[in-house]
Amino acid sequence: MTDTATTQAAATPTPKIRRAATHFDANPAKAGWITKSVLIVLCALWLIPLIGTLITSFRTTDAAANTGWWSVIVHPSTLSSLTLQNYKTALGGTTDMGQAFVNSLAITLPATFIPILFASFAAYAFTFTEFRGREFLFLAIVSMLVVPNYVAFIPILKLYKIVGLSGTFPSVWLFHIAFGMSLAIYILRNYMSTLPKTVIESAKMDGASHYQTFYRLVLPMSVPALASFAIFQFLWVWNDLLVALVFIGPGSNQPVTVALTELKGQLGQGWELTTAGGFVTMILPVIVFLALQRFFIRGLTAGAVKG
Amino acid sequence: MLAKALTALLTVVAGIGAALLLYWVLNWISERLPDNWEHRIKPYLFILPAFLGITVYILYPAILTVINSFKDNFSRNWVGLTNYRTLFDSTYFRGTLFNTLLWILIVPAACVIMGLTVAVLADRLSPRGEKAAKTVIFLPMAVSLVGAATVWRFIYDSEPKGSTQIGLLNALLSIFHKGPVAWLDTSTYHLNSLLLMVILLWIQVGFSMVLLSAAVKGVPVDTLEAARIDGASERQIFALVVIPQIRGTIITVFITVTITVMKIFDIVYVTTGGNFNTDVLGNQFWTQISTFFNYGAASAIVVIFMIAVIPIMWYQVRHFRSEEAA
Amino acid sequence: MRSLAYRTALLGAALLAGAGLTLTACGSGSGSGSSNSTTVTIWSSVDPPVKAGLEKKLVSELKAMGSKINIQWSTVTNINQLIITKIQAGGTPDIAYIPQPGVVAQMESLGAIKPLNSAVDMSSLEQNMVPGMLQAGTINGKLYGLLGSANVKGLVWYNKPAWTKAGWQIPTSIPALESLMSKMKAKGSATAPWCMGINSTGSQGWPATDWFETLTMKDYGATAYNEWVTHKIKFVSPQIEHVGAQFAQLLFPNGNAYGGRSAIASTGFDVAGNGLFTTPTPKCWMYMQGSFITGFFPTSVQSSLDKSVGVFGFPPATAGGQNPVEGGGDMLTMLNDSANVQTVVKLLSQPQIGDDAAPTSSFISPFKNFDMSLYPNDTTRTVANIMYKGDTFLFDGSDAMPAQVGAGSFWTQMTAWVANQESLNAALTNIDQSWPTSGS
Repeated sequence: MTDTATTQAAATPTPKIRRAATHFDANPAKAGWITKSVLIVLCALWLIPLIGTLITSFRTTDAAANTGWWSVIVHPSTLSSLTLQNYKTALGGTTDMGQAFVNSLAITLPATFIPILFASFAAYAFTFTEFRGREFLFLAIVSMLVVPNYVAFIPILKLYKIVGLSGTFPSVWLFHIAFGMSLAIYILRNYMSTLPKTVIESAKMDGASHYQTFYRLVLPMSVPALASFAIFQFLWVWNDLLVALVFIGPGSNQPVTVALTELKGQLGQGWELTTAGGFVTMILPVIVFLALQRFFIRGLTAGAVKG
Repeated sequence: MLAKALTALLTVVAGIGAALLLYWVLNWISERLPDNWEHRIKPYLFILPAFLGITVYILYPAILTVINSFKDNFSRNWVGLTNYRTLFDSTYFRGTLFNTLLWILIVPAACVIMGLTVAVLADRLSPRGEKAAKTVIFLPMAVSLVGAATVWRFIYDSEPKGSTQIGLLNALLSIFHKGPVAWLDTSTYHLNSLLLMVILLWIQVGFSMVLLSAAVKGVPVDTLEAARIDGASERQIFALVVIPQIRGTIITVFITVTITVMKIFDIVYVTTGGNFNTDVLGNQFWTQISTFFNYGAASAIVVIFMIAVIPIMWYQVRHFRSEEAA
Repeated sequence: MRSLAYRTALLGAALLAGAGLTLTACGSGSGSGSSNSTTVTIWSSVDPPVKAGLEKKLVSELKAMGSKINIQWSTVTNINQLIITKIQAGGTPDIAYIPQPGVVAQMESLGAIKPLNSAVDMSSLEQNMVPGMLQAGTINGKLYGLLGSANVKGLVWYNKPAWTKAGWQIPTSIPALESLMSKMKAKGSATAPWCMGINSTGSQGWPATDWFETLTMKDYGATAYNEWVTHKIKFVSPQIEHVGAQFAQLLFPNGNAYGGRSAIASTGFDVAGNGLFTTPTPKCWMYMQGSFITGFFPTSVQSSLDKSVGVFGFPPATAGGQNPVEGGGDMLTMLNDSANVQTVVKLLSQPQIGDDAAPTSSFISPFKNFDMSLYPNDTTRTVANIMYKGDTFLFDGSDAMPAQVGAGSFWTQMTAWVANQESLNAALTNIDQSWPTSGS
């Protein structure tokens, strides 16, 4: 392994190689034109609905109701009728969007980090330790995936009332943490079981405690799975409407999703605001996705297995 | 507002700090115990917080739900099997079950196949190209489900004949002087259900792609190298080297998507509302809870979910065991 | 794991954070209005401009009284579901505006709301509200839901300039309406008599139920209507079967509704009315919908409402005959009967509470003695008058029936029948069968 890397580096001495080397080194299979065209077609199809909505978010309700969104592309003369009004109403208006945004962040960040923390410990235990009831407990956790979170609303609300947590951020955190846990443990445990066991064994033989093995070996190697789950959990909590509505309710603590619903009338007037609002709330998860992409790299386990 | 932002920040730090504190305490406790105890207790301590959360927030309500399925709508009086009987007696409900089955058969498989395709193909691109492709496929996941319904409205919409069509599909049809077709109202061969499945796939493939991509990148390169040196073609490498090594992830994704599909309701709720034979179990559950306020019937539906998930669990056990044996 | 100093620092930070967390948890958090606190919480799902107007007047009246009461009024989506959830789990507001009598009945059966009789001036209400309004919120002889804002249904909208040009007269009876429709069809097939659309996100089919209800009350009167809504007259009955046939007669024949019967189910209720205003030839002459539909008309129409749009109430069965009016609205319910809450309820139950909302929103007051000059345009005045002059105000049936029917089978069966997937008889039978047997 190491030999190939040095040879590659020596052969092509461009500075870019230092990072790219890992990639091409790892997977010399290059993309042929079939691969490229399939992907391009797929991506184009994927984007069409979103482009349609993006265009619509800049149109007036009348225009959107009367002509197809593609008419803006096909008849460029209509470009002048595009407007920022939808965005202005969605972001301005009576609801304090800035506050709602801060609230959304305050709700989402802990609800993303903390389940990862708890779940990775649990996943580690399920993968690398032996204890009674391991299989049963794991299956119990996975089968909890099927329970819809709405059945928990009333029992948990009652519990919160007793404890005095109603309407606070921790009330939502704990809820999202618990419900994210099943999926997190499932994904993380699965990923951890693909890690080379020999490395873990040798670490144990060298006298490392569970804590050290976890912290120094397993966790760094599991970064792609952790990043995957972080993306999903962030997304899920960020876009959540119902849990926030039930546990926090409307008011000064409401996140962006609840604030946006206030824009619509009783019968759904203002649906054009949903298009604008939808894009606004979409930006942050996409940024998170892009930011976490750096963890999806090859070669984390390469080199770990020697000989 | 700055004060509020600072308070929020403090709250966040406090929350995360509390979690770290918890683990530190647990580890401290376990280190205080005599050695052989420590070894035995540690695994349980590791899973304790997770388990506590799941027990309180999921297990306890789940048990309550099973009990409530035998009670009336506001869970005041016992009604025995009435809820179940009423559900299964209704042809509508049985139709709903069939629809849900259709979703379960089609969507998870399609999702895994498409996700894997994208993951593998994108893997071969340059890092920038790969990032772009994966971001595009991921984008729909960032749109909330209600947002997705609005988005697809502009594809599936149908106006009366003679009016300008504002939905893409019908507009394309009108170029050929055909249609318009009321796509979401057409239940012949379950066309509308299939179209709704397209929406779910559009969203869900991002999920399977992310996980499968992580798995594909985790395949040790030496195995790929070795196979190449042995003269295997790319297709053979994919089928015989890559797939077996990511089998666990494929199963995980498959099971997760299956369970998600079982519970699905948002897509159906915001598009057809279950009309025209598109109703699924998850939507029925939601209707019972939020419109009919019949917690008894809703609970019965959840119990049906839980029973239906048993075959999936059985499959997971088998996989578990075969993994351990390896 | 790391150095001792590092670990200590981490511990210190964590402890501090933990303390902070506890404080935050204890400190923040909205509570439900506890008994007789000076903050009164109100939830409603009315349109934001309406809520803004009502709140403004309420706050200024409290100030004028010198009261220390503080109002926290929130717009809540899914209010029906949320209120029932909160009733069972805690965290209810002091006052809630509920758009469905059926839900108010549920709240009462859960023992969550108090009678309003002592908090409001009943005799003044009886005098100034249209007959039927109070009955809609009365359960077992006591008033539990008081209509706070109203909307009118069974309204027929038309394109004023086009109508005048064509010389159509407003029909004063259903037979006159039918003869008008023949004249319209004879004039040319480019413009159909009716636009019709029953599609709606998450609640497909409800406009068809509005038609059914309007026809029932015009044909058979308020008493029969109420018996139908309480299932004493079943869906499979001579009366309702006649109404169904009448509905089919008016809308299904070729050329009666724009796009034909096949388009009705997939056309959205929100855009169907735009067919009144298409240039150069309108797609249709008439559109029946509730008063809120003006908010969905093209913006050019909305900005010149009085000039562009005309409206009349769906005519009675015979000229001068019984003429109940269908409507809906948000009913005030009181979940906490502390002294402060009752003060607020009293203020909310008076006509002048709508003074600030009327000019700036779609608000229509349920009071006959409301100052009509405050309405923003003549169209609203016309609509309000249709309601005030009606014999009886009858709440939208599907909002009053049990949810399994009113928001369930009535909608879905109507949709299936209109889309020609079911016979009328099958639809009516199915609805009857879905009516809950016990009082659940």
